[in-house]
Amino acid sequence: MKELKQYQLAERLEQALGNPSDPKSRMSFHQTAQLDEAESFPEQEIDWLYNWQLQHYYIPEDCGGRFKSFEEFVAFVRVLSRRDLNIAIAFTTLFWSNLAWMAGTEAQKQTLAEAMKKEHVAMCLAYSERDHGSDLVGGSVTAQKVEGGYLLNGEKWPINRATISQFVFVLGRTDPAGGNRGLTLFMVDKRQLDPSQYYNLPKIKTLGIRAADMSGIGFNNCFIPESVRLGEEGQGLEFALEGFQITRSLCAAFAQGATDTALRTTLNFALSRRLYNKTVVEMPHARRTLANAFIDILTCDCVNIGAARGFHVAPEQFSVWSAVDKYFVPDTLERAVNDVSVVLGARFYMRDEHDWGVFQKMLRDNAIISMFDGSSVVNLHALILQRRQLAKKRARRQPKQIAAIQARLAQSFSLTQPLPTFVPQKLELFSRGADDVLQGLETMLEELGQLQAGGVAPDILNQLRSFGQIILEELDAQDALIAESAFEHGHDQSFESFELAKQYCRLHAATACLLMWLHNRQVLGDFFAQGEWLVLALHRLLAPLRASLKPMPPVYYEHAAQELLRLHAEDKLFSIVPFQLAKSSTQETHNHATAPELQLL
Amino acid sequence: MQQLQNSSSSNQTESPVTAIQSWLVSQLSDVLSIDSSTIDVKQPLTRYGLDSIDAVTLVGDLEDWLDLELPSTLLWDYPTIEKASTYLVQEFDVSV
Repeated sequence: MKELKQYQLAERLEQALGNPSDPKSRMSFHQTAQLDEAESFPEQEIDWLYNWQLQHYYIPEDCGGRFKSFEEFVAFVRVLSRRDLNIAIAFTTLFWSNLAWMAGTEAQKQTLAEAMKKEHVAMCLAYSERDHGSDLVGGSVTAQKVEGGYLLNGEKWPINRATISQFVFVLGRTDPAGGNRGLTLFMVDKRQLDPSQYYNLPKIKTLGIRAADMSGIGFNNCFIPESVRLGEEGQGLEFALEGFQITRSLCAAFAQGATDTALRTTLNFALSRRLYNKTVVEMPHARRTLANAFIDILTCDCVNIGAARGFHVAPEQFSVWSAVDKYFVPDTLERAVNDVSVVLGARFYMRDEHDWGVFQKMLRDNAIISMFDGSSVVNLHALILQRRQLAKKRARRQPKQIAAIQARLAQSFSLTQPLPTFVPQKLELFSRGADDVLQGLETMLEELGQLQAGGVAPDILNQLRSFGQIILEELDAQDALIAESAFEHGHDQSFESFELAKQYCRLHAATACLLMWLHNRQVLGDFFAQGEWLVLALHRLLAPLRASLKPMPPVYYEHAAQELLRLHAEDKLFSIVPFQLAKSSTQETHNHATAPELQLL
Repeated sequence: MQQLQNSSSSNQTESPVTAIQSWLVSQLSDVLSIDSSTIDVKQPLTRYGLDSIDAVTLVGDLEDWLDLELPSTLLWDYPTIEKASTYLVQEFDVSV
C-alpha cells in the first residue's frame, strides 16, 4: 500500500493516545465508561487534545491553522470516535468554526483562530428551539437592533456544549416580520456578555453520550455588539444551511469510528468464545454477519472519503452530496452495529461486561448521529426537492460537461491526487441539478468495460460490469419515474418519495464504491485491488432493488472475513485505508487473532 | 437577450414581466395544487405555503425555463411574484 500523507495525522494521534483496550491508556474504554456512567463532562481529555494542538487542524491555513483537507479531518475524527463519542463530539463542536471561515470578516476569523489556538476556546451552535425543531425560519429568538449592537431574547434548546463553551453561534430573528431574510447569524463570545443577561438551561438526560454537555442557553435583553454579526442582516438562514452541508458530511466520521469499535470488540469476543467445540467466529452465521459488517464499513468509506475529497473539488454540489452522505453512512452503520450485536449475544446489552461494556455504549452513543445536524428525514427531504432537477440535468448532459465530470471525479476519488484548497464561499443552497457521482456513471462504466483483466480475475470483472449495468438501469428507471410523476413542493412529500430518495442514495453509494476501486487499485493494497469486497458491497446495495440477484460465491465472504481477522490481529483500522492503530501493551487479547488460515465455511 | 420561448402564454403582445408572472403563477398553482386565480402576485410566496427550500427549488425551475443562472436566494430577496418578475426583467434583460 502506498503511503498516503493525509492519514499520517490520524496515525500520530492514534499512537499518542494508545490502545483504548488498555485501561492505562488515555481515553481507554475503561475510563470513558466511567465518565459516561458518572455523566461527567470529559474535561481533562478535552484539555489533552488542546495541548496536543488538535484544534489547529480545524483552522484553515490562511487563518494561521493547519487544516489541509476534509479527508485528513474525517480520518482523525474517526480515531477519536473509536474511543469515545462523548469526547469526539464535544471536541469536534469546533467544526462550527467553519461558519466563521465561511462568513466572517478577516478580523472575526483572526479573533476566533487566536482564541482557539491560544485560549483553547470551544463553541456551540445555537439554532434549535424547544418549540420549533428543525424549522429555523419559525424560530422565536429575536435580535433587536439597538445602538451599537443588538438585544437577544429567547431560548435555544437542546444545544450541545451550550454551557461548557466560550463562543456561541446564535441565529436570531432581526426582522420582526420573519421570512427567509429575517434571520441573522452572530458569533458571540460569552465571556464578553453581561452574565446577568444570559443563563444556561439544565443538562438534559440522554440515552447515549451521557457525558455530553447537552443543555441550552437563554437570553434576556442580552446586549451583543454589532461586531459579532456574521455577514449582513438577513443572511443567517443562508449561512446556516450552507454550514450544515459541511458538518453533515463530517458527522459520518463519528459513526465510522463507533462502528470500528463495535466490530472490534465483537471480534475480541467471537475469537475467544468457545461453544460446541468451536469459537464463535468459526460458526457460519456469525462469520457471515461479521463479514457483512466489514463490507458495510468499506462501502461507507467509499462514500464518505469520496465526499470529504469532493468538498474541495465540487463544493457547489454539496446540497446533494452531503445529504446522501449524512443519510447513507450513519443509517448503514447503525444497522451494521445492530446486526453484529447478535454475535455478542447477551453481552451486547451489558454495561460492565466484556471490554467494559463498550459495545452497548457505542450502540447508544452512535444512535444520535443520524439525528443531529439534520436528521435522516431532513436529508432525504433535501434530496427529494432536488431530485427532479437531478434527473433533468442528467438527461441534458453534453460531451464537454461529461469530460469535466470525469476529471472532477478522478480528483475526488484518486487518493493520491492533490486537492485544491476548500473554498466555503463556493457552497450553494442547491446544486443546480449536478451530482458528479451519478452523472459520471456511464463514463465510469466505459472505463470499467475497457479494463483489461490483468490483476483482476475475469469473474470479478464480469460481475462488476453486470452490477454497473444494473445501477444504470435502476437510475434510468428512477429518472423516468421522476420525470413522469407530479412534483410536490413543501413538506407533504409522500412516503414513496422518501423510499425513492433512499434508493438514489444506494445507487450513489454503489457508484462511489466502483469509482473508489477504479481510481485506487494500484494504491490500496491487494485485498482492495482484487475486488471481491466490491462485488459483495454492490450485491448488498443492489439486492434490495433486484430480488432476482443470485447469492455471491461463499469464497468471497471467506476472503473478506480473513481480511477482517488480519486487520484485527494487526490492530489496523477496518477501512479501505487500514492504517496502523495503537497496539495493546498487553497482547493477550489479540494473540489469538494472528490466526489462522481459517477454513472455508 | 433571453427569449421566453416556452412561456405558458404565447400572447405576442405580453410583456416579459407579465410572461414571467404568468409562468410563476402557473408553477405555484401546479406544485401547491391551488387554483391559479387565487394567487395574488403582490403577496409574499410564503403566504401560499412555499417555504425557504421550496423557494430555492423554484429558482432551479426558473433557471431551466429561462436558461439562465440565477441567484439561489432570488425568491428570498424578491419574495413576491411581482417583485421577482420585475427584478428578472431589469437585471437579466429577459424579453419575450
